[in-house]
Amino acid sequence: MTKGQPINRRNFLRTGTAVSGIALAAPTLLRASSYPDRNINVVIPTREGGGADRNFRAFTSIWKEKLGTDFEPGFFPGASGRVGYEIYMGKNEPDAYNLIFGNMGPEVLNWAMQEPSFDIDDYLYFGRVDTDPGALFVGAESPLQTLDDVIAEGKKRRLNVGTSRMAHPASIGLLSLGEATGADFNLIPLSGGKNTVAGAVTGEVDFSVLTSGSVIAAGDSVKTLLVFGENRVGEALDNAPDINDAFDLDLPEMLSSRAFGIHQKAVDDYPDRFEVLTRTFKETFEDERLLTAYVEGRGTPEYLNYGGIEECAEFKAAMLELGARFKPLLTGA
Amino acid sequence: MGETGTILVEVFFQTISYWWVIIPTIFLGLIVGGVPGFSAANTIIILMPLTLAMDLETGLIFMVSLYCAARMGAGIPAILVNIPGTAGAAATPLDGYPMTKQGRGQQALAMTFVASSLGGLLTTVIALATMPVLARVGFYMHSVEMIVVMLFGISLIASIAAQDMVKGLIAGFLGLMIGSIGTDVVYATPRATFGFLELYDGIPLIPALVGLFAVSEAFVIIEKRLIITDDARKAMATPSWHATFEGASIALKRWWHIAWTSVIGLIIGVIPGAGASIASFVAYQQSRSFSKTPEAYGTGHPEGLIAPESANNGVTSGTLVPLLVLGIPGGATAAIMLVVMQFHGVSFGPSLFENNPKVGYGMFMAMAVSYLFMMFTILPLSRYMSRVTTVPTIYLAPMIISFTLVGAFVPREYMFDMYLALAFGVLGYVARRTGYHVAAILIGVILGPLLERYFLWSLKKSDGDIMVLFSSTLGNVLWVCLALSIVLPIWFETRRKRREIVIQ
Repeated sequence: MTKGQPINRRNFLRTGTAVSGIALAAPTLLRASSYPDRNINVVIPTREGGGADRNFRAFTSIWKEKLGTDFEPGFFPGASGRVGYEIYMGKNEPDAYNLIFGNMGPEVLNWAMQEPSFDIDDYLYFGRVDTDPGALFVGAESPLQTLDDVIAEGKKRRLNVGTSRMAHPASIGLLSLGEATGADFNLIPLSGGKNTVAGAVTGEVDFSVLTSGSVIAAGDSVKTLLVFGENRVGEALDNAPDINDAFDLDLPEMLSSRAFGIHQKAVDDYPDRFEVLTRTFKETFEDERLLTAYVEGRGTPEYLNYGGIEECAEFKAAMLELGARFKPLLTGA
Repeated sequence: MGETGTILVEVFFQTISYWWVIIPTIFLGLIVGGVPGFSAANTIIILMPLTLAMDLETGLIFMVSLYCAARMGAGIPAILVNIPGTAGAAATPLDGYPMTKQGRGQQALAMTFVASSLGGLLTTVIALATMPVLARVGFYMHSVEMIVVMLFGISLIASIAAQDMVKGLIAGFLGLMIGSIGTDVVYATPRATFGFLELYDGIPLIPALVGLFAVSEAFVIIEKRLIITDDARKAMATPSWHATFEGASIALKRWWHIAWTSVIGLIIGVIPGAGASIASFVAYQQSRSFSKTPEAYGTGHPEGLIAPESANNGVTSGTLVPLLVLGIPGGATAAIMLVVMQFHGVSFGPSLFENNPKVGYGMFMAMAVSYLFMMFTILPLSRYMSRVTTVPTIYLAPMIISFTLVGAFVPREYMFDMYLALAFGVLGYVARRTGYHVAAILIGVILGPLLERYFLWSLKKSDGDIMVLFSSTLGNVLWVCLALSIVLPIWFETRRKRREIVIQ
């Protein structure tokens, strides 16, 4: 049996300091250990009902179980996604309870066209959900039923081509196609995926380009003729060829890529919370039910493609470079 | 009876058996439709976990009933206290609120319930019967044609401005200028946003709507003791069912008016991207143009109330057509329905009626049954709802202001939108006090951005050639109709005055 230390001034102060320290640190420790103790808000810079909405709901239906809390989406469309990002960076607290679910393709391209009011390094993408190549498609009743029809007609007259927004990887894919074949294309930004599909289906434009996931979701109202990258889904995109194979080119894949982003400050101030987010995000990918949730949500499981901080940073840099290259054509400058 | 007929009968009785879902949802829809800022779309989003937990049929019936009832609910505060709950109800107070001020709020509510229910029911039946044909409308109505449709609505400014053309046109142009705030549709360049991020996506409609109509009205009514006149107050002292039956009877006698204005709503609703706000203004403008008493519009004319209400309920069934037949949602609520139904494994588009005919027909049947139920469940409420107009303005005006400011906040949850509603309230008050028509400003704010969007698409498609506006046959036919609908009423009016002079 050990004998206890006598209570003297020094021991009393030492013990008191330690207890006070624990007491003061307890809320922080408790908060850290109990993160998240409330729902997580997610800014989505597009309209509800679109591809981002579908993917977000499918993915978070599994992620919320891993994280032990629910996700509350807020839709802030406008100005090609700029509104959502400006709101996220300008109005949301950098406390890891606020995330953004963006499309690293078109939305990062945007920064190359017009700089936002914030520093683009003040946020980072930490969890890539999917990579989805752009596709060229026509309405089911379009007179242009093959790629040859499109090229031949594009050499005779300027074809109007719907795109969800000017600064979009699929728009760059189309401009590259025009460069390679001599066909003349005129991009018409139809403000969002739904309008872009509707434009091609109803004949508002000659055809459209869009992320292929949204084209697949449009079902048999449309017919895909070309993919600006590898066709990983075959029949679902009407066995359309890859632009590089069809025209013997060496273009990078024109990808949309949905990913969760977070304030850099939140990462710096709350590394423990960030660790929880990244760990559970990865665990979600390892859960077999994610595939089922994607299929049920009419997502394309072949496009599910885990990416962490490094992969996202690489993608972001590649998009900025691509945007700088095509800036004059996409801004009308 | 063919296979489709058998399915329809089966689906009808099946839908009726869901009365326990439909009736509570109708009341929920009335509430969310009546509260500014809330709508069927954001209620379905809020209740999405519940909707996803329901089975396919229940979820479908719930969403459709909510959609119909919310559309009708938006007209209630528009009529009683000049607060249109949504942009689709923006044309409703033009004649609805003057009726209330005359003490005919109960009749106006009964009229709007009958017009909305009948208009909705009729267009649902038409949509069901002619779905494949209606779905083709979007194939002909492109940006050029939509410019002319917008101009039908915008030309209402000139009609409203008839009493003082200069002031009316100034108000209209001010509205169009305000409507051009935000980023441009081609290169997303911000214009006139004054550095406010909140204006990047344009002027938010709900704050503009409630500010111009409701807040400015609250400033005006505070100067009086009651909204209604003293005579009206005396008449309302002994409430009875008579006024409800009278309102219903007025609407029923105008069944033909309900029919053709609701068909305008149906056709506009079918066009992807067009919506209830366009339909209600176009219907109001057409109703006024071909009325024998155009001068009575804006003073509490029954047809001025029936037209926008029938039309915006016609839109409801119209938006389902491109969703079900083409897989393209016609509006925000339809887009959310698409997400929910896709979670249930239903794929929309041409294959829907082959693979899941009961779902396709079921949505229309749910709409028809909801409208049937609404006719009998809501009509009696008009007697009690109209009592709100007897509340003294010292209580009512602050309630209107706080209620509408909350409504302005709800859709985007920005404090900025509350300040914006107040700013529009002041603008509306100054406009009223100086003889400028707030409706003319509002038409510009609502329809201006849509007109610009279609105009820029057309110009972009034609490489800036303005003659593109006259490049389509249907567009040219619409131009002629537009010219006739503007010129003919003036010609009729001039002829009528000449005859009066001759008779005298």
